[in-house]
Amino acid sequence: MRKLRATLIKELQLLVHDKVGLLLMYAMPVVLVFIITLVQDSAFKIVNNNQLEIIVANHDKGTLGDTLVKMLEKSGTFIVEKNNRLSEKALQQKGITDGKLASIYIPTHFSASIENNSGNVTKLILVEFGMSEDSVKAAESTTITNLIVYFDPVLQENYQYTLKTNLQTLLSGMENQVLLRKLFKEMGYDAIPEHIASKMTGEQTAIVAKQASINGKTAVVPNATQHNVPAWSIFAMFFMVVSLGGNIVKERNSGSFVRLLTIPPSFSLTLISKMVLYLGVAISQLALLFAIGYWIFPFLELPALQMPGSIFQLFVVALLSGMAAVSYAVLIGTYAKTQEQANGFGAISIVIFAAIGGIWVPTFVMPTYLQNIALISPLHWCLEGFYSLFLKNGDWNSLSFSIIFLSLFTIICQILSFAKLKSQQYL
Amino acid sequence: MVIFEIFYKFNSPFQNLNTPFLNIIIFAFLFHLQDIIHIQALAKKYKNSKVNAVDEVQLNIVEGEKLGVFGPNGAGKTSLMAMLCGIVLPSSGSIYYHIDGKKLTCKDALPFIGYVPQDFAFYPELSAQQNLIYFGKMYGIPTNELNQRIDLLLEKLGLSAFRYQLLSTFSGGMKRRINLAIGILNNPKVLFLDEPTVGVDVQSKYAIDQLLEELNKNGTTIVFTSHHLKESEQFCDRLVLLDKGKIIANGTMEALKQQYMVTDLEQLLIQLTGKELRDS
Repeated sequence: MRKLRATLIKELQLLVHDKVGLLLMYAMPVVLVFIITLVQDSAFKIVNNNQLEIIVANHDKGTLGDTLVKMLEKSGTFIVEKNNRLSEKALQQKGITDGKLASIYIPTHFSASIENNSGNVTKLILVEFGMSEDSVKAAESTTITNLIVYFDPVLQENYQYTLKTNLQTLLSGMENQVLLRKLFKEMGYDAIPEHIASKMTGEQTAIVAKQASINGKTAVVPNATQHNVPAWSIFAMFFMVVSLGGNIVKERNSGSFVRLLTIPPSFSLTLISKMVLYLGVAISQLALLFAIGYWIFPFLELPALQMPGSIFQLFVVALLSGMAAVSYAVLIGTYAKTQEQANGFGAISIVIFAAIGGIWVPTFVMPTYLQNIALISPLHWCLEGFYSLFLKNGDWNSLSFSIIFLSLFTIICQILSFAKLKSQQYL
Repeated sequence: MVIFEIFYKFNSPFQNLNTPFLNIIIFAFLFHLQDIIHIQALAKKYKNSKVNAVDEVQLNIVEGEKLGVFGPNGAGKTSLMAMLCGIVLPSSGSIYYHIDGKKLTCKDALPFIGYVPQDFAFYPELSAQQNLIYFGKMYGIPTNELNQRIDLLLEKLGLSAFRYQLLSTFSGGMKRRINLAIGILNNPKVLFLDEPTVGVDVQSKYAIDQLLEELNKNGTTIVFTSHHLKESEQFCDRLVLLDKGKIIANGTMEALKQQYMVTDLEQLLIQLTGKELRDS
């Protein structure tokens, strides 16, 4: 016990002197979590909360073009700059040079096309209901004039899709209004009766969004903080492979290692001490990042991290994740011959594990074969465990797969490391 | 010196003894000059190597002697020393230590061994004090005794003023001295030194030599390798010359000079191992 204590103190002293290692293990994850959360939160706000700057060139000879522009302005989603003198070509150039995320070109026959189409549909409805025997010839000859939207190419596909959906919703609403107006007009009304119009606009079916949870209690509303803090904390924890793996190789290749071989069981104690110390580092990394998410993020107008109900479950998942990270680092440090090998292979393997494990993009968007490969990534199981607690109010049952896999991963890494060191007569 | 000369002249080839009287004298010496290390048919063959690094070495090391192991590069000196310190396991043969009346295997003898490798065997990121405390505790030395020993060694090696300084800031000579201090922290019965004074100034070398002489006077057996042949010649009681893993000469300097008609160790080495470069 006295020797273990001495070795632990020595390892702590070495760690304190390793300024670069400390920066890599503590400062880097903090910066990473801040940046990624801020970026994702801003992206989320761009689409959902912020107003997007767009430019509109309305060449429509009818009234619907103006109606659409007013609807865009009224929606609160867009800051609309109108410039009806711009040609279609000039519009796209102006949009890019002025930094607008989208440019909307309303063509000359926009109103006519909608009116025409609605008129034909109205006739078809009346014929179908036996209220008219008019021919549907007109419907066959309908040509639709499309609304044209130019996106800034830097706008990612998912944001373009969201913007398109918003526009489509507005457009559909407008088309429905025109269709109804036509229908009532065909039936002899001047306009849609007031009581019907108010019912139509006032009593629409709303979507109530709720978060599913395992225990049925209200779950946390997912946001950039809730997703990113656990995910990047796991990444940081596993990235210690660069520090610990390299440290083990350095120790093995140093003169002090030769001396330690003459003082058994020094090297076993050294390894145990390194593991205990770096497990402490991993847990403290998590504590630091969670504390930042909980206390500091609100000052930056980021959502505060909401801690799971069971701190004990969180501790168990954190401990197993830390042990998996430390054991993987020891494995790399044991098999690598040089520090360069340990650092290079360690860092790249963690980036790959993170990518397939769902740290950057959720695994459900990946192809099936990649989702199967993700199962071998320890980061995936750490993430599953943390998401279960942070997002789904998970219980022991929901954590069981994470606990089993992480325990197995730790045991396998330890056995492989032991076998290698034993074969080299270091233990 | 004379005692060793007589002892070694008769120690190996007992068949040369032809008088019962001499036999009695030799066995009387043997009784007093106990072997501390007994090496028998020791061999080491590394993986992917076609030849033995150490080949059928038979050697007895006597308690209290200063034994110099010499030879060209790749002769097997470091491998032999590594096996004696338990760092490398032999491919065949045996090593036994006789300490405090007990026959010990290499592994069991480790607490009684001190080792000073050629490479600096410490943590340069830590101070002299931190290194000495760590290695002292690993040797299992009680705290009070360790503190006293650290004070004494730092004083003797002229490093007291630098005890809180990081070893990375030490000069080459200071590093050699602290390297030695760590190796003898446990007051070893047998001390193995691999090039203990390589690359040091004359003052550091003097301090190291003084300390080694003192240790030897207090009963520590010293086994060392060095390329400082002239100084080693004066320092050691007996020499073992290795080449291609085998012992090619073994005896006191005086005896070897007479046997091979040479004036110094350098001539002896050239005569026995040739002038051909041994870069491997």
